[in-house]
Amino acid sequence: MGLCLAQRMIEIGIYPMLTWRTETGFQRIQNRLEVCFKERFDTLLIDFSIPETLKTLSEKTANTLDYTVDFVQDNYESLIAGACDETVHDYFLHHVAFRAALLKKISRSMLARKKGRMIYVSSTAAIRQNPGQGFYAAAKQASETLYRNIGLELGDRGVTTVSLRPGYVDAGRGKAYFHLNKNEILKNKLLDVKHITDTILFLLSDSAEGFNASELVMDRGMTAGK
Amino acid sequence: MTVENILKDILCDILDIDLSDIEPETYLIRDLDAESIDLLELAVNINQQFNTSVNEDDLFLRKLRFYLEEAEERGIEKNSYLKNKYPFLPNDRIMEILDDIEKGPVLKMKDLIHYVTRQN
Repeated sequence: MGLCLAQRMIEIGIYPMLTWRTETGFQRIQNRLEVCFKERFDTLLIDFSIPETLKTLSEKTANTLDYTVDFVQDNYESLIAGACDETVHDYFLHHVAFRAALLKKISRSMLARKKGRMIYVSSTAAIRQNPGQGFYAAAKQASETLYRNIGLELGDRGVTTVSLRPGYVDAGRGKAYFHLNKNEILKNKLLDVKHITDTILFLLSDSAEGFNASELVMDRGMTAGK
Repeated sequence: MTVENILKDILCDILDIDLSDIEPETYLIRDLDAESIDLLELAVNINQQFNTSVNEDDLFLRKLRFYLEEAEERGIEKNSYLKNKYPFLPNDRIMEILDDIEKGPVLKMKDLIHYVTRQN
């Protein structure tokens, strides 16, 4: 999804900086974008599980960021009562504490310029999770709260935030879940990647500036009823 | 441009006030009604304009009351304890702070000037 968004951004004249954390991820970016969009994007190693990688985002680079779109979230499925303490600790350290440090760095540079828009791609699981998704949902909610507070604290100074909560997406984990369960009801609720990327681009646009410090559910009504 | 003038410009921009409203003796919170978000923006701007890292707890004397309690608990003379914690502040300023602290937040424009001057 991140690659699709980057491609759309380049097409409309935005210069995206994509983060990667494995060589495979880096190669995926290169293979998808390098041929058609050479020198119209950049990459940066940011690994939420390695705090030192925060330093790769220099102040100089941070000062060029007008927008951020945050997709990062490892899946971690476990029953609460059956979880490994150490894994749980690391999971929250990586996804909440590291994210907070990253957001601090970026939001300060945006504050200095009084301009910035941050989109967090969350999930409907943040509010309505399945058994086994407790830690995933808790990390999503915690991350949403970080974004919401940045919007609350810095909104009047030009730095705003929105969290988007997509439902099932026909890509990645959503696609795998759907194909595993073959649920006909869910089939009608599936979103495709373009739905999400179009919505993110809208949220980055001036037309969406009224949305701040809030969470938007995008799931074709899936979580609205019983 | 002097450190004082740069800081004044930053504060005028953040607080939407005139240069004439700020003197070294001006209290940031008592006189100018600076709020925590204003101080954050001030720190970010100092960081950028002077290309220096800023310890906001020190710059804004945030732990002042905590340090005073700590000094009392440990039986250490407050003046020297604060001098150790805030090496950028001159002795006479520390004495002034100790006399003034009961009246409200003590942070003054000149404290910022001392901090930034020492950092550079």
